[in-house]
Amino acid sequence: MSTRFEHDDDGVVVIIGSGAGGGTLAHALARKGIKSVVLEAGKRYALEDIENDEWAMFEKISWLDERITAGPRQLTETFPNLPAWIVKGVGGSTIHWAGVALRFQPHEFRLHSEVGDIDGANLLDWPISYEELEPYYVQAERHMGVTGEASGMPLHDWNNNFMVLAEGARRVGYEKLRAGPMAINTRPYDDRPQCMQAGFCMQGCRFGAKWSTMYTDIPRAEATGYCEVRPNAMALTIEHDERGRVNAVVYADAEGNLQRQRARAVCVAGNSIESPRLLLNSHSALFPDGLANSSGQVGRNYMTHATACVFAEMPKPVNMHRGTTFAGIISDEARLDRSRGFVGGYTLEVMSLGLPFFAKFMDPANGGWGRDYAAILEKYDHLSGVWICGEDLPMEQNGITLHDSRKDQYGLPVPIVYKGDHPNDGALRRHGQQQARSCYEAVGAVRVFDVPDFPTSHNVGTNRMSARAEDGVVNQWGQAHDIDNLFVSDGSQFTSSGAENPTLTIVALALRQAVHIAERMSRGEL
Amino acid sequence: MPSATGTTLSRRRFLTLTGALAAGSLALSASTLWPRWARAEPELATRLLRLGRDIYPHEAIADRYYLAPLAPLLEEQRELIAAGLDDLDRRARAAHGRDYAAVDSAAEREALLRQIEDGEFFQTVRNTLVVGLYDNSELWEPHFGYQGSSWEQGGYVGRGYNDLVIDWL
Repeated sequence: MSTRFEHDDDGVVVIIGSGAGGGTLAHALARKGIKSVVLEAGKRYALEDIENDEWAMFEKISWLDERITAGPRQLTETFPNLPAWIVKGVGGSTIHWAGVALRFQPHEFRLHSEVGDIDGANLLDWPISYEELEPYYVQAERHMGVTGEASGMPLHDWNNNFMVLAEGARRVGYEKLRAGPMAINTRPYDDRPQCMQAGFCMQGCRFGAKWSTMYTDIPRAEATGYCEVRPNAMALTIEHDERGRVNAVVYADAEGNLQRQRARAVCVAGNSIESPRLLLNSHSALFPDGLANSSGQVGRNYMTHATACVFAEMPKPVNMHRGTTFAGIISDEARLDRSRGFVGGYTLEVMSLGLPFFAKFMDPANGGWGRDYAAILEKYDHLSGVWICGEDLPMEQNGITLHDSRKDQYGLPVPIVYKGDHPNDGALRRHGQQQARSCYEAVGAVRVFDVPDFPTSHNVGTNRMSARAEDGVVNQWGQAHDIDNLFVSDGSQFTSSGAENPTLTIVALALRQAVHIAERMSRGEL
Repeated sequence: MPSATGTTLSRRRFLTLTGALAAGSLALSASTLWPRWARAEPELATRLLRLGRDIYPHEAIADRYYLAPLAPLLEEQRELIAAGLDDLDRRARAAHGRDYAAVDSAAEREALLRQIEDGEFFQTVRNTLVVGLYDNSELWEPHFGYQGSSWEQGGYVGRGYNDLVIDWL
């Protein structure tokens, strides 16, 4: 039986969300002897609940509460209520992530200084440098078990899917080809087994070889006696005292009853749609525009990565479904090089989908059917695929707002998730598609075709970090500029998207934030 | 993507139907292999089958794999389906002088469907089929080379995840 804290215990840190940010933070605080209550909207799952079945897991773990997709993009038509493909459950989207654990590059923390103002983009440097975050990257890599130097684990063997892409990449002159770094064990590490190359990384790892807070940080935090995790607890509003310091979180429990948990500090880690939504919903007489929103930036600057997929049919079977889902990375285009016609870079990441998802996602628009469509599916086992993960410029109008009349099952306004492309995003995407096409043509593809964006799993930027209070929501520690005991602990604090998958950076920031919170508590400031 | 509820429903239906099919599989007549709702309205079911086979045409896949996910539509959304099929026949007669199913050329049938692909009727059938057909594990390996769940067999370590020889260049 794990520790239980009283609702009126005002000595606990309340953490909202249990994924890469919240789960990591809860564990790090617990190891420092700091008490926390984690409110997780979703259920708790066991490894035995994880199936190698795309649709079954989609239905089981996805965040399917009503959301409205908006903006000039295809997702608005193809997935009008599913802008994001993320998880509702203990462990959050670390159940679904594919394990790619890249650090941001030093220049990506100061993109604005590097490239100057760009029309239509709301560019800003991070208030933290690569050098400041680097020790936490090393810690995060050891903590998560990232293949490579920090953990001492070798990289994965190349799977067939990556062999195909890499051979083409070599032939077009690319050199930075690696089957990692991945937070997927290549040998037993951290009391978890090695990867069995089962595929289905995005459906949850049945073996626990991929790092997820579901079976690492969360149970370990609970085991310390300093952390209570409450599943099926949907945070509705954060409350504050007359001085404007937060002091409680109101949530709906599993039965739908309202509960109020008092708090010494509140850390919001509900992913980049729910986190700003919660701050906006917590408006009050003192904070009429929502909590921590004196800058007006809460919910803005929503970034998803500039992405696209390219798939190719090869002359012989590849069996892309065998082995890790995102098995290899090409980093040659991740650099900043304006001669390509855009700022920011991108990584090319080999990927696979199972037949059930590929049949749906190859072209989810109305025209995705017919003889040519079926003919490609007949060659499913000959396919190889690559995903483009590119810098997505922040734009003020891209963001999360609250619908003025539609309410969800808790009576909260439904979030509208608006996203359009900056011209830079389009240029980057086209470049990536062309380079991916060249790789596959160089390795003898029978045909190469573009596959559109999926509902996005990389959602960042909606409570961004800034040096000055008027430019963003939180400071370099993730602490709200306006409220000193309110923190943002997830990817919504990103100032820019980088060309890298966000999880490792979220974890590094959470580890760093835990140190900061502990220091401030020991000084009596929190 | 179909709504979560829709997906769950079709999946449950599908399992029910699979059970029904197994029970009926001793019968000799092909039509008794059809799902119950398809047997109740064989004329509508036959027309819907032709449509389904034109949306995702795979010659080697038997009719019952199309009918299993589609037949429930005859019960749940009969009016939409019947009206949609009638409309399709009207368009076929106007263009080719015969009902849709009697248009011989697959290319001509596809062209007729392209005219209605944005409509509710067509997308209802397509969205049902894209899950109902391709999420049927019986079809995966024999028709598509997809092997489905692998953890029970210890994944693909030693079973062909890294054995590709690129010998075609």
